[in-house]
Amino acid sequence: MLIIRGIALLLDVKYVKNVANLCSVWDMGLQLFRKHISLSPEIEHKTVTGLLRLIESERLGEAIDKTLLSHLLKMFTDLGMYSETFEKPFLECTSEFYATEGVKYLQQSDIPDYLRHAESRLQEEHDRCILYLEANTRKPLIATTEKQLLQRHTSAIIEKGFTVLMEANRVTDLSRMYTLFQRVDAIEMLKQALSLYIRGTGQGIIMDEEKDKDLVSFLLEFKASLDKILEESFAKNEAFSNTIKESFEHLINLRQNRPAELIAKFLDEKLRAGNKGTSEEELEGILDKVLVLFRFIQGKDVFEAFYKKDLAKRLLLGKSASIDAEKSMITKLKTECGSQFTNKLEGMFKDIELSKEINDSFKQSSQARTKLPTGIEMSVHVLTTGYWPTYPPMDVKLPHELNVYQDIFKEFYLSKYSGRRLMWQNSLGHCVLKVEFPKGRKELAVSLFQSVVLMLFNDAQKLSFVDIKESTGIEDKELRRTLQSLACGKVRVLQKTPKGRDIDDKDEFVFNEDFSAPLYRIKVNAIQMKETVEENTSTTERVFQDRQYQVDAAIVRIMKTRKTLSHTLLITELFQQLKFPIKPADMKKRIESLIDREYLERDRSNPQIYNYLA
Amino acid sequence: MIPTKAVSKEIERIDQLFYTYADGSSSMIDPEGIETLCSHLEVPHTDVRILMLAWKMGCEKQGYFTLDEWRTGMKALRADSISKLKKAFPELVQEVTRSSNFQDFYPYAFRYCLTEDKKKCIEIPVACELLNLVLSLQFRPQVEKLINYLKHQNEYKVINMDQWMGFLRFCNEINFPSLDNYDADQAWPLILDNFVEWLRASEN
Repeated sequence: MLIIRGIALLLDVKYVKNVANLCSVWDMGLQLFRKHISLSPEIEHKTVTGLLRLIESERLGEAIDKTLLSHLLKMFTDLGMYSETFEKPFLECTSEFYATEGVKYLQQSDIPDYLRHAESRLQEEHDRCILYLEANTRKPLIATTEKQLLQRHTSAIIEKGFTVLMEANRVTDLSRMYTLFQRVDAIEMLKQALSLYIRGTGQGIIMDEEKDKDLVSFLLEFKASLDKILEESFAKNEAFSNTIKESFEHLINLRQNRPAELIAKFLDEKLRAGNKGTSEEELEGILDKVLVLFRFIQGKDVFEAFYKKDLAKRLLLGKSASIDAEKSMITKLKTECGSQFTNKLEGMFKDIELSKEINDSFKQSSQARTKLPTGIEMSVHVLTTGYWPTYPPMDVKLPHELNVYQDIFKEFYLSKYSGRRLMWQNSLGHCVLKVEFPKGRKELAVSLFQSVVLMLFNDAQKLSFVDIKESTGIEDKELRRTLQSLACGKVRVLQKTPKGRDIDDKDEFVFNEDFSAPLYRIKVNAIQMKETVEENTSTTERVFQDRQYQVDAAIVRIMKTRKTLSHTLLITELFQQLKFPIKPADMKKRIESLIDREYLERDRSNPQIYNYLA
Repeated sequence: MIPTKAVSKEIERIDQLFYTYADGSSSMIDPEGIETLCSHLEVPHTDVRILMLAWKMGCEKQGYFTLDEWRTGMKALRADSISKLKKAFPELVQEVTRSSNFQDFYPYAFRYCLTEDKKKCIEIPVACELLNLVLSLQFRPQVEKLINYLKHQNEYKVINMDQWMGFLRFCNEINFPSLDNYDADQAWPLILDNFVEWLRASEN
């Protein structure tokens, strides 16, 4: 054609240009060619099928003559036949190809492979456009591929692979899934799958009481892995982050109260001394992580109650690992829940510091120097009743010296702070006793009850349970526990006959003459310091009692400002005001109780409305 | 003059009737007197009509009729003899069952059972009997179930006025036995929520 054009160049340039209805030689040539091709559809058909077959075999991994392909396609373009004659059947063919492949591949391979495959397929098609297809084809081609390989299979992919990938923590695969799903607008689906996964996975562990012990560490790990996946796989998508939060909150509150209690316990373990191998920074890190869990908890009051109880033990028994860590935890709680929440906890710290000062000034006072019995030393924690957990008072007949000591301290204290009332919490006391064993001198760190029992053996060789009970005045159960710790534990300062774990009324005890131990100072673990079941339930009960008062107070507060309010609105407002989970039935109970006590009345004409009675 | 005479005669007869039953020392008809009255009326003293009579008289204390109360009641019933009083009963029953009056009679029945000062609740067995007495005429199926429930549950030992009024509202408003318009999110007393839950559970 170039030659023809060369020959007829003059004609082309001079004549054709000036005549309206004639095309240039070049165009004319093309037109003629097109006409002849279309005259024989067989050729057209053969060419197109040939092209499609070539592309298909490339897709199947064979090497093909890309130049030929490229030339032929160029020809179609030049002839203006590309989109009609080639593109349409090509897209149809593609759609068909990937439809079959998608179904087949999904059955054959696992999800990560499938996703990888889809990803590379998309890349191939993309390259194809650059290599020999027209640029316009890219959009519909990629869309077709996405549709057949991904869109149609999204739910199957999620169903088959999402949980597996999450469980195996496969960050890259998940990230691939996220990117691919984003292309086909299926992010919402992925989000739902995530929410379901979190709820489903955690449920078994949260509800299983036997796994209570590891619950907190499980939750911490679970949260950390979710965070990692969010960051590395889901591009920190905000909607995903919210889904994680919501689902986690749902999960942790599936079981009321108990997780809050367990989190408090977990912290106790971490903050207690003897937790060696954790540096200050590590501890800080753990505290921060636990705080994230705490944020999800609805029953924060349950947490507070247990945290307080454990904190009290740490402070009074000097078992806290680090006062700095303790204070940092309080500060964290304060930022989280406001000063009202930590008010009492801070009060406890203040009491401990103040007690130190009081003890120092007591030791220097004239009363102490002149009147104190010699041979013993005593230090006292003065605790403000409201700040600390309530301890049941326990009677004990103290040795004379301690009684004198207590009286003198009381006299000293009241002379400094008149108008106060001191109550001795004997169950919390602990002592160090110097003991002369035949095999060497030892110091025993024991509880006050233990020491009261041991002191009896200063004057006696052998005592029966009943004797001891009479002389000490310690409550029966408590005394049994105490004796068990002295005669049946690891460190046996007393010997019991007959031998056995349980303390019987007829059991007799003697001082263990053969006692020996490698260390000079020995701690006799007190069994009563372990948490008893009763103690636990009573803490929970107290929380519930407190909640009842809070509900009552909230109802009265709301009704006082509103004067009259419908039942539904009152319940709605209560849900907003109360910070712990509560059932509508429990609210009804409180409302009815207030009607009974004549704070409220049901409106005479409309029973759905309450009136406030001033 | 004649009507006044008639009226005064009527009052006289009413008073006379009162003193036949009144206890001389307390100048009231006491429980014993009421029992005699009932036997003359040939109705048991636990009959709902006696409760209605008490309501009509505006009687304040269970088991006692004062002269004033007696006069108000008898005059309103236009009765000055036992036979007339007996005849007045059907009309009285009709009057009480009229919804506007029943709204007054129903809480009255509850208050009437508060035998001691400052008492605000009635015990479950009493409540059951009272329900049976005042509501079973109109709402027998509901009352039967409710009484069954009250005897079966052990959460509540007593019934207060709010709950008592709730029972009536329940009978008036809730489709029975389908309960399809009962909504526990509304201000129904909790005891009714529990009752409905129990009903639904026992159905399945």
